[in-house]
Order: sequence, then C-alpha cells, then structure tokens
Amino acid sequence: MTTIKILAVSFFGFASGLAVGSGFVAFLTVLGIIPRLTQLTKTMKMIQQYEWAVVFGALTGVFASLRDPVLHISPILLIPLGIIGGVFVGMLAAALTEVLNVLPILAKRIRLDGEIVILIMAIVLGKIFGSIFQWLYFVHH
Amino acid sequence: MWEVNVLEKTIYIRMRNRVQSKPDEKVLLKDVAQIIAPEAVLSNLKSMMVHQLTQTDRNIVIIDVMKVINMITTRFGELEIQTIGPAQTIIEVTFKKKGVSIPFFLLIWFLLFFGSAMAIMNFHDDVSMRSVQEKIYTIITGKKEAKPLLFQIPYSLGLGLGMILFFNHVFKKRLNEEPSPLEVEMFNYQMDLDNYVIIHENKESMKKTNDDD
Repeated sequence: MTTIKILAVSFFGFASGLAVGSGFVAFLTVLGIIPRLTQLTKTMKMIQQYEWAVVFGALTGVFASLRDPVLHISPILLIPLGIIGGVFVGMLAAALTEVLNVLPILAKRIRLDGEIVILIMAIVLGKIFGSIFQWLYFVHH
Repeated sequence: MWEVNVLEKTIYIRMRNRVQSKPDEKVLLKDVAQIIAPEAVLSNLKSMMVHQLTQTDRNIVIIDVMKVINMITTRFGELEIQTIGPAQTIIEVTFKKKGVSIPFFLLIWFLLFFGSAMAIMNFHDDVSMRSVQEKIYTIITGKKEAKPLLFQIPYSLGLGLGMILFFNHVFKKRLNEEPSPLEVEMFNYQMDLDNYVIIHENKESMKKTNDDD
C-alpha cells in the first residue's frame, strides 16, 4: 500500500513539475528574451548554453525555495544579485509591453513617432519609481 | 537590329511606396515612380502629371500602376512598359504640419509613468516578491531582515536597466546598430496601415462584379 502511495505521489509531483517547467520555458520563448540577449551580444552560437543556464537557474530556485539553505556569506553579494534579478524582470516587463503593441499606436496618435524614446523613458522611470516607492514606503504601511 | 529597337523603346517603372505631398499640388510621374526610359521620352515622362490633388481627396490617395500605364500609352502611344516593385504608390497629403501638442504629450507621459509604477507594484504584490526577497536575504546572510534594501534598491535600478536593454536605445551606438524590437514593431504597424489603405482606398481593387461603369 505504501509503495503505491509513494509511487502515486512521486508521479503527481513529476507530472506537475513537467507542466510548470514546460510552461515556464514556453513563457520565456514567447517573450523572446533570450534571442534578444543573443542579438545584443552577438552570441547566437552559445544559445544552447543559455538554455542550460535557464534550466539550472530554475532548478537552483526550486532547491532554494524548497530546502531553505543558508549560506552565511557577506550581504554585499545581494547587490549584484539584485541588479541581475532586476534586469531580468525589466526585460520581461519590456517584452510584455512590446507584445501588447501599445507603444507604436500611442506614439502615432500623438504624432511622436520620431521620439518614441521619450515614451519608453516614461515607462522605465515609472517602473523604477514604483519599485523603489514600494520597497521604501508602501510595504510598511 | 530588332532586339535593340525593342530595348530602346522599353520603359521601366518602379512605383515608390509612400510619397508625401502638399494639398492642391500637381503630382508628377517622377514624384511617384522611378523611371528608366529612352532619352527621347524621359523628360516628358518625368513631368507627366498623374494626379491633381484637390480638397475632395482628403489625406490619402492611391495611384495604381495600371492607371499610370494607361496614361503613358494614351499619351505616348505603344511603348513597352515594364513595372518592377510595388503596384501602387500611397500619396500622403500633408496639410499644415501639426506639431506635438504639449499638454497632450504631458498627459500621455504621466499616464505611462504612473501606469507603469502601479503595474509593477501590482506585479510585485501578485508574485509575493517581498517574501521571496526576504528569503533570499536569509539564504545569503543567515539573518532575518524585514527590509532587505541591499537587495531591493539594486533590483529596482536593474529593472529600469533591463527595459532599456531590451529596447536598446541608450546603448545603441555601443552594442550594435540593428533596429530595436520597437522600431521593427513601428515599421510593421506602418506596413499594416499601408496595406489597409492600399486595398480600401484603391477604388480599382474594390470593384464589385456588377459595377459596370
């Protein structure tokens, strides 16, 4: 009986992991962040390594969130980690904005097609402002 | 001898995609198309009027290549005409060039600014970013911290940097000169609009079968 229970639980665990993992990869693929990064840095040949980076990153995240490891390292490490995490989320947000196709239409409406960078900066500064405001003030009230 | 004769009489026409013109202007063939033709007819061809813009034209006029060929053959007789490239030109009538209205622009700017700020806050709340960040702080340092600002401030700045990287505007000169996704998106949008007006504003391509006149 216990064997069946163990088998069933591990099967359900495996199945849900499969679903979440493929969903995560599909999400990244639709937004096209990895192609964009390879295009920026001209490293198309390394794309397979990038795939593995995503896989290992996800597995590390799984380990960290399920096992609660403690490393006892200097908090200074948090600064580069924060920047990297921020850049990634920023690219996600930018890709979402682009998928929704709002900016080209908006820029054309107000006849600003040449200076679309001003509109982008509005969004970028808004995101930075919103984020800093949330962590410094909003969450503690 | 015969072949040379034919070649001399051939006119090559390539319609331009999109042309801007002032209202009430005479649109000449050289405005709407690139032409290669025998010397004898070239200057006449170039200055041939294909359309007189009037007030009734509103802001988009389509010149179909069939209309141009028809005009050339009625005026210059039987010449061989080869067309290359697009089958029509979009004439955009530019009335007095309107500038960007400042209040309108400011409205949009602040709409985007506060909209994005709200959106990112909702996103953080939705994905429980705060508890994840506190957890990361504990994993790295072993201490509990209700305000892991050491992680959060770099994160916030990185957020902006990531968006700029994606759109690649600031570092354009340094990284590479390929168009950014947004520029491609703008271009696609313009192409879609052009395609729409080509079909919908061009009376010839919308004719009904029982429309005999």
